[in-house]
Amino acid sequence: MRYQRRIGRTSVPGRKVRLATAAMLLVATTVAACGDGQDDDAKASAPKAPATIPELTKDPLTLSFIWFDWPPAQALEAFANAEYKKERPNATIKVNTVPNANWHDAMFTQFAARKTDFDIAILDSQHIGEAVTNGNILDITDFVKNNIDVKAYNPYLLAAYGQFPQAETGKRDENASLYGLPLLGDTWTMIYRKDLIGDKPPQTWDQMISAAEKCQADNPGVSGLAFHQANGSDAAAVTYNTVNGIYGGNLWDAKTRKIEGVLNDAAGQEAMDVLVNKMKPLTAKGSGNWFIDEVNAAVAQGKACIAFNWIAASGGLLDPKQSTLGSTREQILDKLGFATLPSQKTNLVPLGGMGMHVSAYSPTANQAEALNFMKWFERADVQKKWAAAGGVPSRTDALESPEFLNAGPFNQVYTDSVPRMRDMWNVPEYARLVDIENTNVNAALNGAKKPKDALDDIAKEQQGVLDSSNRKGGGGL
Amino acid sequence: MSDPAPLTIDNPGQVASTAPPAPGRSRRLSDRGLAVAFISPAMLLLLAMSVFPLLWSLYLSFTDYSATRGGPANFIGFGNYTAILTSAQVHTRALTTLIYVIGAVGLQTVLGFGIAYLISRRTHGRGVLTTLFLVPMMLSPVVVGLFWRFMLDAQFGVVNSMLGSVGLGQVEWLTRQRTALISLIVVDTWQWTPFIMLIALAGLSAVPKYLYEAASIDRASEWFRFRTITLPLVWPLLLIAVMFRAIEAFRLFDLVYILTNGGPGVSTETLSFHIYKVAFLGFNTGTASAYGILMVLVVIVLTQFYLRYLNKLKEG
Repeated sequence: MRYQRRIGRTSVPGRKVRLATAAMLLVATTVAACGDGQDDDAKASAPKAPATIPELTKDPLTLSFIWFDWPPAQALEAFANAEYKKERPNATIKVNTVPNANWHDAMFTQFAARKTDFDIAILDSQHIGEAVTNGNILDITDFVKNNIDVKAYNPYLLAAYGQFPQAETGKRDENASLYGLPLLGDTWTMIYRKDLIGDKPPQTWDQMISAAEKCQADNPGVSGLAFHQANGSDAAAVTYNTVNGIYGGNLWDAKTRKIEGVLNDAAGQEAMDVLVNKMKPLTAKGSGNWFIDEVNAAVAQGKACIAFNWIAASGGLLDPKQSTLGSTREQILDKLGFATLPSQKTNLVPLGGMGMHVSAYSPTANQAEALNFMKWFERADVQKKWAAAGGVPSRTDALESPEFLNAGPFNQVYTDSVPRMRDMWNVPEYARLVDIENTNVNAALNGAKKPKDALDDIAKEQQGVLDSSNRKGGGGL
Repeated sequence: MSDPAPLTIDNPGQVASTAPPAPGRSRRLSDRGLAVAFISPAMLLLLAMSVFPLLWSLYLSFTDYSATRGGPANFIGFGNYTAILTSAQVHTRALTTLIYVIGAVGLQTVLGFGIAYLISRRTHGRGVLTTLFLVPMMLSPVVVGLFWRFMLDAQFGVVNSMLGSVGLGQVEWLTRQRTALISLIVVDTWQWTPFIMLIALAGLSAVPKYLYEAASIDRASEWFRFRTITLPLVWPLLLIAVMFRAIEAFRLFDLVYILTNGGPGVSTETLSFHIYKVAFLGFNTGTASAYGILMVLVVIVLTQFYLRYLNKLKEG
């Protein structure tokens, strides 16, 4: 009899009760998952940080950063724990790292959840627009006014790592709001084989291509050039943007938000032609997916005559354990030279590096500690110590100090490059703009698209992204 | 001596309630209560982790919601669906995915069945061979992707090194349009052929021996036995394996992410990879939700057709 009951159909009222219970559970789950309805109340702009640093906690506190995994991240954690602890013994610095390709996603998925496990986001300069528009980071304009000596910086450096809306290249709008302070400056350096092409680096882009061509012909097994071509992160996009700038092109007209007809004008087309038809043939076969590490590996193994890479990622090249160019740092430096980028129609170089930005979702005590850390980090003496520890500072006095200039053979390159820098677009749509450019330049470099078609597609698709803000449906395609 | 228990009763509940409880069990917990108690944790988990996200993304798919921008989710009807279905970008990714699914699953089926057929004919070492063939399937796709990325590197990879040793030139496996997609198919085939092999082996082991014995008595050829006995009996099981693999291949993401990142250009971007970009590069959550729902619908519809064909096959 009990068996019959077990397999028998539940009575109608019983089924209704269970259905109602299931529905209620679903609703409860939905309500729980939707949180406290903050989404609907989210502010359209960033919340303001206090103008003065609030009272700091005396309890043990961990100040967490988020960055991508590369040597400067480890250098920052070691430096900050050694030096900042002298002033704030109860504070511990933790730099959480993710793979470069996941860096944007790791930060912005947490921002989307309105809850972050980091207090300071180390954002690429181009991420600022997205973070500010979504209210993810604090507006520190008043804090900077009261605590930071802004005259100690090249105005464009201060603007690039903190200002929104974006500053005009080379300038800073003193009336614009600031959302971050520089952490690590960076730009491209030209790495060249002194033993193969001579001590004097090429001065123009044309000369550089000729030198690479000759070097490749004279040295079988060594490719003329090595540079970023991958379709991940901003690899291929930065390469094209650099050549575009050097050949007098523009990425967009910021005032009219116009890309089509600007990016793919005659200068833009010439830059794409130089990149695909003159530079690409001088690279190693299969280098179409190379980024920072692969370029460094090619240089360290003596497989490239001339290479381009970020200065902050070049330290490993001088490590004899990672190089076949010599058994000591001096032997390696006998063969490797570091120079600012050659110029052609202009002398522009790409702006790299990142700034520090306080998470809007961090606890109040941690936000206060973050502001205190930033004030401490931007002090003249600390910037010089950061330079000596392998970092790239942003204060002019630190950039011109012996601590910085003597710390690495490429540091003079950075100091000389600062007045020549140009950044990409710093708009909320950055992630999509850079993906469009990356994939199309990568396609052109690997023969999947004709250079002209690739550039026209970039201009058309990017313009579509900028123009699609009011489209109903299909955003992101 | 007590009366025998009646075989039928008018009110079964009455008897159940008067039956003595099992030793150690609470008087208040009936069998059904116990069943509900056991099932409810799994049901709650299922509701929270599967049913709710599915319904929530279904709702979001009709809105312009963005996870990072916040703000209200405005209802836009079928706007996202229309945009996806008419997008040339989506059509390109759909074609890439289709080529990949047909190439990878086709190759895996032929190889998997072939290996299973050869193993099934061995009498010694079957277990060891089967275990060895299963090893790739046990590895994480990310690990598989990473070591194949090294092996296929044009400059330093072992594959080109081997080709070079036999006098063949370097091949740009991951950076050329055609070879990149072929590389993905080869790596997926390396990893998932054992799955088809395992299912086919189970089917081959279940074929009754007496059929082969009868065929031998009639002096049937090897090919005749394969065509009229082996293949028809293993076919339905093989088709189920193919269906599982096709669904898996249809939503391929990990290998693409590690091996080619969708390149060169977007030539190896699959539908899943494209959804990832829509969802996380621009945080267009509404569009990404609609995209995901459409992919689920495609799988459900195709699976239904497939299952009907399988049922017909059984009935036949």
